[in-house]
Amino acid sequence: MFVFSEEDEKQIEKILNRYPEEQKRSALLPLLTLVQRREKHVSADAMRDIGRRLDLSPAYVQSVCSFYTMYSATPVGKYLILFCINISCQLNGCDELLAHTAKKLNIEIGGTTEDMKFTLHREECLAACSGAPMMRINDTFYENLTSDRIDQILGSLD
Amino acid sequence: MADDQVTLTIDDQTVCVPKGTKVVDAAKTVGIEIPVFCYHEKLGPLGCCRMCLVEVEKMPKLMTACTMDVGPDMVVKTTTPKVEKAQKGVLEFTLLNHPLDCPVCDKGGECPLQNNTFKYGPGDTRMDFTRAENLKAYPLSPVITLDRERCIACQRCTCYSEVIEMDNALVMHNRGFNNVIGTFNNEPYDTRFSGNVIDICPVGALTNTQFRFKARTWDLTNSDTLCAHCGCNCNMTLGARTNKFMRIESRPNDLVDDGWICDKARWGYDFLESKNRILQARTVPDSGTMVFSSPTTQDAAVRTANAIKKIVDEHGPESVGFIGSPYGTNEELYLYQKLFRLGFGTNNIDHKVYADSPGLPIDHYDVSDIETSNLVLVIASDPTEELPILDLRIKKVVARHGVKLAILNDQATLMDKYAHLSLRYNIGADAEVFSALSAAISGDGQANVKDTGIEADQLKSLADLLGSNKKVTIIYNPAALTGRSVDVLKQLLSVIREIPSIECGAIPAAPFTNAVGAMDMGILPDYYPGGVPVSDGEAIQQKWGKTAPIKAGLSAMEMIQKAESGELKALLVYRANPVVDFPGGKQVAEALKKIDLLVVHDMFETETAKLAHILLPSNGPGYDDGTTTNIGGRVQFRKGGLKTAHPPDWKIISLMAKTLNEEGDKTNYITSFSVTDEIAKKVPGYGEISKKSIKKEGMTRGAPSSKNGAGQEAMESSSPKPGTLKLRIANYLFAHDKILDATSVLAHHFKSSTVHLHEKDAKKLKLKDDDDVVVVSGNTEVAAQVEISNRCNPGGVVLPNISDEQGVWGLADNRDGVTWVEIHKV
Amino acid sequence: MTQILFHNINKKDLHTLAVYEKEGGYKGLKKAFAKEPDEIVEMVKASGLRGRGGAGFPTGLKWSFLAKDVFPRYLCCNADESEPGTCKDRELLQKNPHLLIEGMILCSYACKIETVYIYLRGEFYDLCEIMETALEEAYAKGYLGKNILGSGLNLDIHTHLGAGAYICGEESALLNSLEGGRGEPRMKPPFPAVQGLYAQPTVINNVETLCVVPYIVNNGAEKHAAIGTEKSKGTKLVSVSGHVKKPGNYEVVLGTPIREIIYDLAGGIRDDNKLKAFIPGGSSVPMLPADKVDTPYDYESLQAAGTMLGSGALIVMDHTVNVVEISLRLASFYMHESCGKCTPCREGTRWMWQILQQIQTGKGEASYVDKLLDICDNISFKCFCPLGDAAVAPVISGIENFRADYDELIEKMAANTAV
Ligand SMILES: Cc1cc2nc3c(=O)[nH]c(=O)nc-3n(C[C@H](O)[C@H](O)[C@H](O)COP(=O)(O)O)c2cc1C
Ligand code: SF4
Ligand code: FES
Repeated sequence: MFVFSEEDEKQIEKILNRYPEEQKRSALLPLLTLVQRREKHVSADAMRDIGRRLDLSPAYVQSVCSFYTMYSATPVGKYLILFCINISCQLNGCDELLAHTAKKLNIEIGGTTEDMKFTLHREECLAACSGAPMMRINDTFYENLTSDRIDQILGSLD
Repeated sequence: MADDQVTLTIDDQTVCVPKGTKVVDAAKTVGIEIPVFCYHEKLGPLGCCRMCLVEVEKMPKLMTACTMDVGPDMVVKTTTPKVEKAQKGVLEFTLLNHPLDCPVCDKGGECPLQNNTFKYGPGDTRMDFTRAENLKAYPLSPVITLDRERCIACQRCTCYSEVIEMDNALVMHNRGFNNVIGTFNNEPYDTRFSGNVIDICPVGALTNTQFRFKARTWDLTNSDTLCAHCGCNCNMTLGARTNKFMRIESRPNDLVDDGWICDKARWGYDFLESKNRILQARTVPDSGTMVFSSPTTQDAAVRTANAIKKIVDEHGPESVGFIGSPYGTNEELYLYQKLFRLGFGTNNIDHKVYADSPGLPIDHYDVSDIETSNLVLVIASDPTEELPILDLRIKKVVARHGVKLAILNDQATLMDKYAHLSLRYNIGADAEVFSALSAAISGDGQANVKDTGIEADQLKSLADLLGSNKKVTIIYNPAALTGRSVDVLKQLLSVIREIPSIECGAIPAAPFTNAVGAMDMGILPDYYPGGVPVSDGEAIQQKWGKTAPIKAGLSAMEMIQKAESGELKALLVYRANPVVDFPGGKQVAEALKKIDLLVVHDMFETETAKLAHILLPSNGPGYDDGTTTNIGGRVQFRKGGLKTAHPPDWKIISLMAKTLNEEGDKTNYITSFSVTDEIAKKVPGYGEISKKSIKKEGMTRGAPSSKNGAGQEAMESSSPKPGTLKLRIANYLFAHDKILDATSVLAHHFKSSTVHLHEKDAKKLKLKDDDDVVVVSGNTEVAAQVEISNRCNPGGVVLPNISDEQGVWGLADNRDGVTWVEIHKV
Repeated sequence: MTQILFHNINKKDLHTLAVYEKEGGYKGLKKAFAKEPDEIVEMVKASGLRGRGGAGFPTGLKWSFLAKDVFPRYLCCNADESEPGTCKDRELLQKNPHLLIEGMILCSYACKIETVYIYLRGEFYDLCEIMETALEEAYAKGYLGKNILGSGLNLDIHTHLGAGAYICGEESALLNSLEGGRGEPRMKPPFPAVQGLYAQPTVINNVETLCVVPYIVNNGAEKHAAIGTEKSKGTKLVSVSGHVKKPGNYEVVLGTPIREIIYDLAGGIRDDNKLKAFIPGGSSVPMLPADKVDTPYDYESLQAAGTMLGSGALIVMDHTVNVVEISLRLASFYMHESCGKCTPCREGTRWMWQILQQIQTGKGEASYVDKLLDICDNISFKCFCPLGDAAVAPVISGIENFRADYDELIEKMAANTAV
């Protein structure tokens, strides 16, 4: 069973306050984000719970959830690495660096390390093009990457 | 020219249509077809398939004809090279990942994708890659098959789920090329109206599992008919092949069903071939030994007529009676009342166990009047479970036309969440609430709301709401009212009628298929057809002859009582099952056993049929033709569709009438319409009804002559009995009965017996959710599981009627209107 | 060079209210409140400011389209910044959040709006926190909330995070997303100015657009209108990326030759390679060959050159690039980001990607290039929203200008199979 923590409840109240009373479904993305960040995925139970709160059918919640790439149905690792592969990064050699990272972590692109520490995803442009090549690990942007820098960054995360 | 008309040119033709019309629809009016996939009139424009691109002068881009409103002096071209190239292109994209398995597809022959491709498509494909692989046929529900490979993602079905059924049960998952339709976590899509997606899917992605691989569409014989399940009388098409039932599809009639049917209509016709059907007449020989003989239906009918006549001759006309059914057609019911009144000389004729009488003190509104109303007031009715298509219509007007919904009921319903105001009165307090509301509206007298469960200011807001809206439709279910509160309700209606500045009408919404027709046809002890009261003796005898009885007869419950006391000697029960459906349960069976001659004329081997001395088979819907009158007073023709060697009911009844008359009955009916013609002559209000006049959309009959407003005063409400709760029997759409039997494809909707309690009562009784209990009244017990749902106010329980076996009506006690029950934990 | 947005962008702690105020921030409010709301709208109209989000629609005009006398009205700030190549809004949000807040307050005053949502792409979680902090400061100082500075204006600004979908940058998809829905675009009409968020009149503006407003209010419409060219007024943030020595965001006066941006501001091509092509306005606009490098960077000149200014992302490619590779990557992007609602976009982007992949991996045939062009034609202007048109832009312009790159790959393959 999925339950929101007390702290979450406070957060939820704050979120709901941002939208007009009769438009509480606007809180759907924020609530899904809350769950994704805490649980590292959004489970069916959580969708049901959110649907109940916002008066939305669970199917609707799932429909919205599956539209956005930042929500995942299965848990991602503690560190989610989003590696930009779009044009500016491509021009700056991101493909090799991505392959390097995958090799370093010993996983396929899209995969998660066995210890659930790292998940590595290809990502579309993250709006850091002048700092290409770049990646985002959880909420932090890392720009102007080189293979050495990547090794150093990965090494610094515990 | 009227301001709301727009004139434009489409392919050099001048078109004049109402403002707001979409270009596709405007083109249709002059016979120009613009191909579409996603567009569906009832769903509104989606604009996603891009099949309907057209050129519009002064617009640089091609425009989608389905999303664009017509504009004055607009010039539209639908066949230019630019348009043709676009159509080919869009079709090429559409077919890119479509399996092209037309030879084995159930949609074949009626597939818009196939048709559009034939007319507008490219000759071949330039796709050199393997097509996307997607799931082949898999069950979206026990009755719907989804073939994801064939889906073209037009969003019709998901849009239907969102804007028509409004429950978002079927949705689009994922994004872009990966999008697929589906439900939450792959749970079955089994709502009350799920089947409509089959009709609107423009490809073979959503198909009727019952029909899969049974027949090619072009081999079907389709009959335009009506659904026989409830008082909505939705229009549908029955498809048969070599006289075997194949499938049901919707057949849009905006005035009745707005284009949709419920799942009970689509899949509730297994009974046509039910094992439980009566296909052979049976009689117990006169000597009374229980050895059955099997005469022909005709012989049995003759024997029935003679036997009843004999009893009339011996014991007088008061000793015989007829209990009909609100499920019979107008023709069948008309003939039966004529037989009993003129043939046997009795008014012991009835079809119901609740109080009601023909006529309304205000206009009888048609269902489509809801669309032009500003306020809909629903009283004691649960459209979702009782008259499902009404549920869709109400949701539509609330969500899309800004109509306000007010609800006055003793139980919570699924409509509540759409209501502007929803008031819940205590079970059994209906009469008090209606008079209090009358007082609140008229302003004279104190609105007494004591013990009703509703506050005075709440009633005041309802009164204000009624006064502040221009057109009001009141929908009420007479069958859900207690005692004689229907009379108080009619007084309330006359009070509402007097509210200045409003226009109003009512829809008496008893759930049964032909409840209105049964009243109109005079299946009542005190009214002749057309609502003519027996007190109008002179008029009656002028019309029906000198021998027509003008003394009020016995009601259905009185007949049962007289059977019990031995005064009723013969009873003909037509397509009704008093043993299960009448208050009293076992007592009813005991009473019926005492009757000298019990004739049952029915489609199924019911509990009542088992007691019959003479059993006559009835063909019923699917086989027999006839008309029915829906809750809106609209008379429509219900065609049989399937052929049978058995004589139709109207022939059997008319044979009985002929048997009685030595010189032979002068009437000689050739088809059911011959009876309809007689109805037109004899029944006030039905004068305009004829085969021709009801052909397309049906026709509303004139309201009955009686304006019934006053009626008796309300009965004293019964006083509480300590330790007991008031019972409300609720309806459930998919109840497991003779129609939806154990083999029904809808069996997955069957429910277990549940009693709904208020939390306060549950606390007092120390009950919690899922506790097994028995609900007890008199010597009847019904087993159920507790659900603490606050479905009614404290002091009451709601027990949905979920199956014949459950036997809820056995608990009911018709004498003082309210039934008190005890609840015991087992 | 005149700078409106970036003159102090690297000032230490500019993101704090204190520093922002010291720099003259929030001065525009008093000035604005002294005027009638309509006057502000007129001012913005007269300033010649055009939307910086991509479409370049005149901002003042957009504001004046709001349905008359219908309230409440909403402002949605488009901070979805997802157009490949574009990273200017991020820098503004990160370094100068109060400038945006001031711009939003001014817009709200002008348009009689009481609620604002900043729709940030989901990946901007860090920026959202910066923004939240700045909003708190502004509330504390009375720049937000009830009766701001005694003007009678009540205003609330909320942040709202998306969750990973490029299409949510399209304004009507943004509204759906903000309403808790799938980010599918809406039918137009009705336009957001008439029925936008919650079916109420709504202004949607890009971050950069709103950030220019304080300058206009403080310095007057004429001052702004004096900057730039005849039809393109003011300055533009240009995100320069790709094969340049000094990639970054640069604020340039509209009309500045692209050559100047690439060679002077961004330091020229890396390794002093030869310029081959550049995309001037983000991945959704056609690319241009090197010989167009003297085109002035403004709306009309770029249009005349067959492309668009778009979101102001200048992506520079040197001679080592094969255009097929670039087009394939972008095709993959649009396929991934198509919402799937309409057929040509959903099916067409994937088909294009399939064909490009064949060519790129040496399985292409000579006929593929014309087929690609025809598919592009079947997508162009036939989709529900402009994403489809954007998807074909790099492919069409790539083939038109660099067909040799395609032929080279295809011929190489043909030669290989022949052996
Ligand atoms: C596919 C697509 C993506 C878009 N992405 C963005 C975006 O990320 N940020 C943005 O400001 N505008 C984006 N736009 C443009 C917006 O629809 C809209 O025109 C803009 O936000 C209006 O603001 P402006 O007038 O200030 O430019 C996008 C448009 C399309 C068609
Ligand atoms: S299943 Fe049919 S109705 Fe539903 S989206 Fe696919 S093609 Fe359309
Ligand atoms: S019918 Fe017009 S877009 Fe589908």
